[in-house]
Amino acid sequence: MRGRAKKFLAWLFSGKSEKASHLLILPASFWLAFFLIIPIILLLVLSLAQRGPYGTVIWHPTLDNFRRVFTPLYIPIVARTLLYCGTAAVICLLLGYPTAYFLSFYAGEWRDTFLILLMIPFWTSALVSIYSWIIILGRDGLMNSVLTGTGLLRTPLDVLNTPFSVILGLVYFYLPFMILPLYSSLEKIPKQYMEASYDLGAGSFQTFLKVTLPLSLPGVFAGFILTFVPCLGDFLTAEFLGGPRTYLIGNLIENQFLMAQDWPFGAALTAVLLGAMLVGLYYYQKLEAAEIA
Amino acid sequence: MPGMTRRDFLKIAILAGAAPSLLAGCAGSEDKHEVNFFNWSTYIDKDTLPRFSLETGIVVNYSVFSDEEEMFAKLRSGALGYDLIVATDYMIPRLKALNLIDPYPTGTLKNTGNIDPKFRNTPYDPNNAYTVPYLWGTTGIGFNKKHISKRPASWWDLWDPKYKGKISMLDNARDCVGIALLMKGYPQTTESDAAFKAAEQLLISQKPILKQYSSSTYVDSLINGEVYLAMAWSGDVIQAARENPELDYVIPKEGSYIWVDNMCLVKGSRHRADTLRLVDYLIEGKVAAEIANFVRYGSPNAAAKPYLDKSLLDDPRVFPPSSVLKKLQFYAILPPDLAQTWIDTWSDVKAA
Repeated sequence: MRGRAKKFLAWLFSGKSEKASHLLILPASFWLAFFLIIPIILLLVLSLAQRGPYGTVIWHPTLDNFRRVFTPLYIPIVARTLLYCGTAAVICLLLGYPTAYFLSFYAGEWRDTFLILLMIPFWTSALVSIYSWIIILGRDGLMNSVLTGTGLLRTPLDVLNTPFSVILGLVYFYLPFMILPLYSSLEKIPKQYMEASYDLGAGSFQTFLKVTLPLSLPGVFAGFILTFVPCLGDFLTAEFLGGPRTYLIGNLIENQFLMAQDWPFGAALTAVLLGAMLVGLYYYQKLEAAEIA
Repeated sequence: MPGMTRRDFLKIAILAGAAPSLLAGCAGSEDKHEVNFFNWSTYIDKDTLPRFSLETGIVVNYSVFSDEEEMFAKLRSGALGYDLIVATDYMIPRLKALNLIDPYPTGTLKNTGNIDPKFRNTPYDPNNAYTVPYLWGTTGIGFNKKHISKRPASWWDLWDPKYKGKISMLDNARDCVGIALLMKGYPQTTESDAAFKAAEQLLISQKPILKQYSSSTYVDSLINGEVYLAMAWSGDVIQAARENPELDYVIPKEGSYIWVDNMCLVKGSRHRADTLRLVDYLIEGKVAAEIANFVRYGSPNAAAKPYLDKSLLDDPRVFPPSSVLKKLQFYAILPPDLAQTWIDTWSDVKAA
C-alpha cells in the first residue's frame, strides 16, 4: 500500500505526465469554475432581467439595464471614479517607487523586516483600518489634536468626508500592491548592469535614469494596474471616508443591491465595469508583450 | 480580476461581519436555546438581554443595522439565521409580500394585552398578525447648541448656506424624499412625476452644503462638532443629550413623520419558541419601560407607562403635545410601484 502511494506521488510530481498535470490543476479549476466563472455567468444573465415589484427579479430578457448604464446621469460618477483612482495610483507610484528602491538597494539585512512591516496593515480588517482613519482624520481626531495642540493651526481642519480623505484611504489600502511589483522588478535587475554603467563613466543619477528606471518599467506598469484596477471597484472607502459628493462606481453598484433593490441594473453596471477592466488588461498585456519583444 | 475578488470579498465581509451570529445560527441545532436578534443600532437597554439570558438560559445573539434597506437586502438574499427583526411600519407590507416574515401563532404571547390599542389594528398590519410594536419615534432636526445661536425651527434650516459643510442628512429614501415632498407641499401619497422631480431637485440642491448622509454616526458628528445640524431620529439625539447637554432635538414647524418599529418573526427561523419567549419578555411593562427609558423613544406599551421616567413622560420631544402631534403623519402604506418611485428618486439623488 505504501509503495503504491509513494509511486503515485512520484508520478504526480514528476512534472512529466500530462495526466498528472490535469490532476494538479483540478482544485484550482473547480475553484475558478464555482467562484468566478459561474458567478459571472449568473451576473450576465441577471443583467438581462427586469426588476419587478418590491425589487424582485423578472426573467424577461431586455437590454434596458445596459441602456441605462450609458445615460448622462452616471457620466460624472465615471469621471470622478477615474479621476480618484488615477490620482490614487499616481500617488502610490510616487510614494512606492522610492520605497521599493530603498528596499532593493539600501535595506540590506533589514529588508525582510521592512517587507513584513509593509504587509502588516494589509492583514488588518479593512473596516478596522477605515474606522482608524475616521478617528485620525476627524475634527476631534488625532491629526487635528496634534495640529491645534502644537499651535500650527488655530481651527481644526475638516478633512473627513472630502475627496482628500477618500483618495488618502485608497492610497493607504493599495500602496502595498504598488510597492511589491516595483520591488520585485528592481530586485531582478542584475547589479552588473549598473556596474557597467558606472565603468562607462555614468554618474549615479544618470545610471538610474538610463538603466534602472527603464528596466523597472514593467514593475511600474504592473503596480499601476494592480492599484488602479481594484480602486475602480472600491466602495468601502468612499462610503466611510467620503461625503455626499464622493460617490464612486462601486457605491453606485453597491446601492443597486443594498438600497435600490435593483439587482438587474446592479448586475449590468458590474458587467460593464468588468468588461472595461478586461479590455484594459488585454491592452496592457499586449503592451507588455511588445515591451519585452 | 483583482477588482472583482476584492469587492466580493469585502461585500461578504460586510454581510457576514455585521452578523457574527449567522454562523452560529447555521450551525446551531433546534435543541440549543438561542435567539438571533437583528435590531437597529442603539435601540435597547444594555442590561435587558443579559438579564433575559440569565433568567431563561436562552442566549441572544444580538446584531445591529443602521440602514433598513440593507437589513431588507440581507433578509432577501437569504441571510439565514436571523430569528427576530425590528422593522419600521412601511417595511411590513414588503416583508409580507416577499414572504420573509411569519405571522405570530395565535395565543402564543401572553403580554400582547399590554400594547396600547392605538398601536393595534394598524394599516400596515390590520389583524395584528405579523407585528408586535417595539418603539415609536419621530424624524426631526438634531442640533448642537454650542455651535448655532438660533434654534432651528424649519426644515429649510437644513438648506441654509450659512451652515455649509455642517449639515447631515439621514441616509434613506423614506425620510429624505418624504421630507422633501412635504417641504414642496405635496401629499405623501402623491403619484405625480412633477412632485418627485421637485423633491429630487430640492435634495440635490442641498448637496453642495451637505457634510454627509448618515443614519448611524451622525450623533457622534453632532457631539464633536463635525456637524451642527442633522436630520435625526428623536431618541438617537435625546439619548445622547443626557451626556451631552448641548444637544437638542426639534420637530420643524412644517411637520414631520411619526413611525412605529415592530418586532417580526423571520421566516424559516429555527428558534421559534425561544423567540416568542423573548418577544413576550420585551413587552412586559417593566422591561418595555426600561428600554424606553434608556433609548428615549416613545413606548407603545400601555403597561410600561407607570414605570417610565418622569423626565421621559414630560419630554415634549418624546411625547409631543397635541399642537405638534397634529402636524405629524404616519408613513402611508404605498403600493409597490410608488414605493419604488421613492427609492429611485433617492437613488438618483445619491448618484447626482
